[in-house]
Amino acid sequence: MATGLRLVTERAGNGVGKPVIDTDNGEELMLVHPGVSIVLGNRPPEFPGTLYISNKQIWWLSDTDRAKGYAVDFLSVSLHAVSRDPEAYPSPCIFTQIETPAVDDELVDSDSESETLNLSKITQMRLVPSDPSQLNMLFAIFCQCAELNPDPTEEEESVHNWIFSADQLEDEDEEDEDSEWPVFQNPTHPIGANGNHDLAHSVFQLQINDQRFEDAEEMEQYDKNGHQ
Amino acid sequence: MVIPGVQLFFSYFKDLVGREVTVELKNDLAIRGTLHSVDQYLNIKLENTRVVDQDKYPHMVKPNSFFYFFPPSRLSVRNCFIRGSVVRYVQLPPEGVDVELLHDATRREARGG
Repeated sequence: MATGLRLVTERAGNGVGKPVIDTDNGEELMLVHPGVSIVLGNRPPEFPGTLYISNKQIWWLSDTDRAKGYAVDFLSVSLHAVSRDPEAYPSPCIFTQIETPAVDDELVDSDSESETLNLSKITQMRLVPSDPSQLNMLFAIFCQCAELNPDPTEEEESVHNWIFSADQLEDEDEEDEDSEWPVFQNPTHPIGANGNHDLAHSVFQLQINDQRFEDAEEMEQYDKNGHQ
Repeated sequence: MVIPGVQLFFSYFKDLVGREVTVELKNDLAIRGTLHSVDQYLNIKLENTRVVDQDKYPHMVKPNSFFYFFPPSRLSVRNCFIRGSVVRYVQLPPEGVDVELLHDATRREARGG
């Protein structure tokens, strides 16, 4: 479930500080990149700040205001891309689209929560590094971390297979029976549109339970002769 | 030809890598590009990415919209990573799909592989 962009007001450590990483739940920092400005929606850029990328979320912490920071988990990042077109945005940046949570407006009734509410509606975020030559590296890190955060499913798959060519797929046909036809856990996209109904299992059970097929031998021969 | 369904698309990547595809997201936005790779979660990496013709989606043209930042007339987004869970459809080049193979795959899938 997407949680969208959120405000970060707490930090670890002294001075400028660092994000509070949830190490108990396996979160760990992958990259710390200073000199990054953040652009939320069509707001003006906020700078200076430091980008922190963990295996679970993206953090941006202001270098000057310890109470100002933003974070979004990778589950909420619908897409990310390198943007270099000055017509789209003056500076080369990483563009991200954020999936917003369903917000119940009735629950928010105070001014202090309005910023939180506004942030949860942000659908686009740009990260502008001071050094544009770092964009490809940042994009690659984003890809890696996004891949580490698939939607939670019932079955755990530890092997992550990117397929680049037909040859690769043919090889995997022989080696790994799970790679070509991954068991698809999401019941909202079933082939055959029967929800969780497992057609193959139902047919198999039908054959087992049907008594008419037990004394098949003599009948089969008869049928063969009869149907020639 | 539009094909919903993760398994079938994943099995047809081999005909599609390097081809032009249009990815339609669940929020109705459509992104076109060259398919670079796809994984088992249907995460899609595209190159030469651009937004599909704005005229097709007039209701999405808002100041804060994706289209505002990426005018479709320009190749403004090069490398793009699309999260599998937000993909609604992947539109394939019609000449790149073998319909007979697709039917066979569908039948196999229904029988449980």
